[in-house]
Amino acid sequence: MEFFERFAVPHPSIAIYASMVAIGLTMVAIVAGLTYFKKWGYLWREWLTTVDHKRIGIMYLISALIMLFRGGVDAIMMRAQLSAPENTLLDAQHYNEIFTTHGVVMIIFMAMPFIFAMMNIVIPLQIGARDVAFPRLNALSFWLFFMGAMLFNISFVVGGSPDAGWTSYFPLAGNELSTSVGTNYYMIAIQISGIGSLMTGINMITTILKMRAPGMTLMKMPMFTWSSFIANVIIVFAFPVLTIALALGTMDRLFGTQFFTIDNGGMDMLWANLFWVWGHPEVYILILPAFGIYSEVISTFSRKNLYGYKSMVASMVIISLMSFLVWAHHFFTMGQGALTNSIFSITTMAIAVPTGVKIFNWLLTMYKGKIEITTPMLYSLLFIPLFTLGGVTGVMLAMSAADYQYHNTMFLVAHFHNVIIPGVVFAMLAGLTYYWPKMFGFMLNERIGKWTAWLLSIGFLLAFMPMYITGLDGQARRMYTYSESTGFGPLNMVSFVGAIIMAIGFVLIVYNVYYSVRYASRDISADPWDARTLEWATHNPVPEYNFAVLPEVKSSEALWDAKKKGHVLFKGEYEEIHMPNNSGAPFIMSIIFFVLGFSLIFSLWIPAIISIIGVFAFMTHRSFEQDHGHHISVKEIEETETKMRGAK
Amino acid sequence: MKELFPAKQVLGFGFSLLLTVIALAVYFLDMSFAAGMTILLVTAFIQAGVQLTVFMHAGETEDKGSIYTNVYYGLIIALVTIFGTLLAMVWDM
Amino acid sequence: MKIDHSLPLEYSTEQNKLNILGFWIFLGAEIMLFATLFATYFTLYNRTGNGPTGAEIFEITPVLFETFLLLTSSFTIGLGIHAMRLGRQKAMISFFVITLLLGLGFLGFEVFEFFTYVHEGAGIQTSAFTSILLTTLGTHGAHVTLGLFWGLFIVLQVRKRGLTPQTANKSFIFSLYWHFLDVVWIFIFSFIYLKGMM
Repeated sequence: MEFFERFAVPHPSIAIYASMVAIGLTMVAIVAGLTYFKKWGYLWREWLTTVDHKRIGIMYLISALIMLFRGGVDAIMMRAQLSAPENTLLDAQHYNEIFTTHGVVMIIFMAMPFIFAMMNIVIPLQIGARDVAFPRLNALSFWLFFMGAMLFNISFVVGGSPDAGWTSYFPLAGNELSTSVGTNYYMIAIQISGIGSLMTGINMITTILKMRAPGMTLMKMPMFTWSSFIANVIIVFAFPVLTIALALGTMDRLFGTQFFTIDNGGMDMLWANLFWVWGHPEVYILILPAFGIYSEVISTFSRKNLYGYKSMVASMVIISLMSFLVWAHHFFTMGQGALTNSIFSITTMAIAVPTGVKIFNWLLTMYKGKIEITTPMLYSLLFIPLFTLGGVTGVMLAMSAADYQYHNTMFLVAHFHNVIIPGVVFAMLAGLTYYWPKMFGFMLNERIGKWTAWLLSIGFLLAFMPMYITGLDGQARRMYTYSESTGFGPLNMVSFVGAIIMAIGFVLIVYNVYYSVRYASRDISADPWDARTLEWATHNPVPEYNFAVLPEVKSSEALWDAKKKGHVLFKGEYEEIHMPNNSGAPFIMSIIFFVLGFSLIFSLWIPAIISIIGVFAFMTHRSFEQDHGHHISVKEIEETETKMRGAK
Repeated sequence: MKELFPAKQVLGFGFSLLLTVIALAVYFLDMSFAAGMTILLVTAFIQAGVQLTVFMHAGETEDKGSIYTNVYYGLIIALVTIFGTLLAMVWDM
Repeated sequence: MKIDHSLPLEYSTEQNKLNILGFWIFLGAEIMLFATLFATYFTLYNRTGNGPTGAEIFEITPVLFETFLLLTSSFTIGLGIHAMRLGRQKAMISFFVITLLLGLGFLGFEVFEFFTYVHEGAGIQTSAFTSILLTTLGTHGAHVTLGLFWGLFIVLQVRKRGLTPQTANKSFIFSLYWHFLDVVWIFIFSFIYLKGMM
């Protein structure tokens, strides 16, 4: 029994016990449901073993939405606790755990999978390909992310949640000051997920460089593909830094090394440095695909070519390099000298310039266009002023001398939510709405969608604008309470109201999905938005092979040319199509990674060693494996095409 | 038999050995820190370049643009990371 | 599967080209992985706490052996790929086996080196310097170890299946990996050992 004591939560509460029960019941319900409806075979064949980028994208999407719920509940609890001075809803320990998991979940397990979902669903279709370069690796990327997320998410009911912030600074994150396994969860779950992200980076870059349709030169690629390409370049060069940082942190905690310790030569500040070398490029990994979505949406619903294609590309290439030059602005106050701070101040302010270029290009795209305000377009229109506001507060923060006032106050919290929510979250919701018909063959409801966009915007403003003020007034971040005499109470209450409005907005998204599944017409065209790019040149939902005949392209708006200028996209006869086979290996290997991670977290060395052997066994099998895929016959293509009403 | 030992590879190997021997000078001879670092940097980067072009066939295919861009990107960001870290954590702390 | 006979076997199919490019991109990521280790090393190498410094524990002889073994193995695998392109399967396998044996020799020296350090009081827990030294050398060594297994699997596959577009592709990619490990060693040799013994 003593063995099982290690899994107890060190600081439980009623909410945590209730969650344990809820999680247990949910797992039972899922197993029971699958058994009752006899869906195990279906689940295994169609989802757990798929290597199809479209299916993988949908799985990323579902995961992101579930994690949005978890991160959102964390947020509501924090806002509730802070809504009144000396509130007792959460004690300090719980508050610390909640802001930690809120940050990690939202960035690593909500935003990242959301952008991977968009990339997976859209990129192969947008470039006229049948899948990504490495479909099997793609599946492994997803399942590693999923297992990392699952591992992180059970921390608060098994062994204890991490509580040192999403940035997990040492020495707080070290063994002396964080005695529970919480920080182990942090180090290891993010590591597992990060391996998946790196694999996606390699996969997408190779796909985009080598698998474009004939005629689609790099400078004729749609902007979402360009922006994702750049984001994936950043992933490839940034994630290894995180890999090492997390590995060193893990070794300090599990193996007594001295990287970030206080004595024996350790340098605790080095953790912060390495973390942010990754951490800053990470936010550009998030925002660039978001910008890509906005480029697609704005040009589609302005009925105009994107203005300034070349400068859009150039600005993103510049951003990709510069994103690696600014990281120290996350710790201006850590003690390095004025020379360092000045250099990083200048680079940080400079990186605002290419971003500004993009904003102007979007405005110029809309200028003299025929604007149609659909839900995705509404998100884009709201994004522009809201994100710009967040951006300019970023320039304020960029001035290192001034940052000594703002650092780690609520001003900072307001800034980064101000760029992430209108920047990334709105884009993801716009993308979700825009690409929903492509994925599922029907549209989401416009009215509910627009209500959501407005509620989220108003809620966002009410929640976060007061934080700029309280931050300047001196309210620190990551503080579980404040006294009445500070006067922070009223504005924090306003924030809480804003958070509730946002919560209603997010609930409306769920309602929209339900409502649309139930009532939306399934009789929509392949191109319901009258769009401009190749992904809309095939059916909704998309058949397994994407395109019956691979397209040939002449400009960056291939579909628009086909519709308006008579360019023929699909020339030639149907030919047999070669597709990769499903495989259970990615799923099972990821389960082994879960077991490995869990074992390391709890210092269970024998299961850890066995798991490592398991991982290598799977890699060995993969080396010797000879899998030649399968062929889709011409007859089958004809039947599918006819059924989807796109017969030649 | 001779065809198994192409001139390019043999010369590349020999050149690498030579560069290694030159680098050893910093161990066997007395010299200033600056001189030693210069020798090490020059020999290391040249030898890495030999590996890349002669042995790894980096410039051989239609993808050479992508490959070289990839390597240069990695190199630049690696150097920025190393020197930026040293600046912030050691030299200017 | 369409084979382009005008190109070397390892590039001759579409998937082959994707695999090779993908692996180069992976090497770009590995550059950053080792760069981070180096950044950490250069930051921490003077922070020796109560433990020894590099100058106190580094010895030129084993380092020279390691360098010579690895560099030569990089040469022999290059010869192996050349033999592969000539269609000389037996010669290719011989060169690959020699490469792996040289790699095994390298590892032998490195294990001996680690044992010596630990004996001298330079363990991974001793100080920040020893932690990062052993982690950097160990990460490289772990990559070599993985390479020995991977290389062995490839030799077995070439023996069994002959030189096909798939086996040629895998062999070439493995050679990229092996060369990369030598490139990393060049920097370890220069900036950890030689610099530490200046």
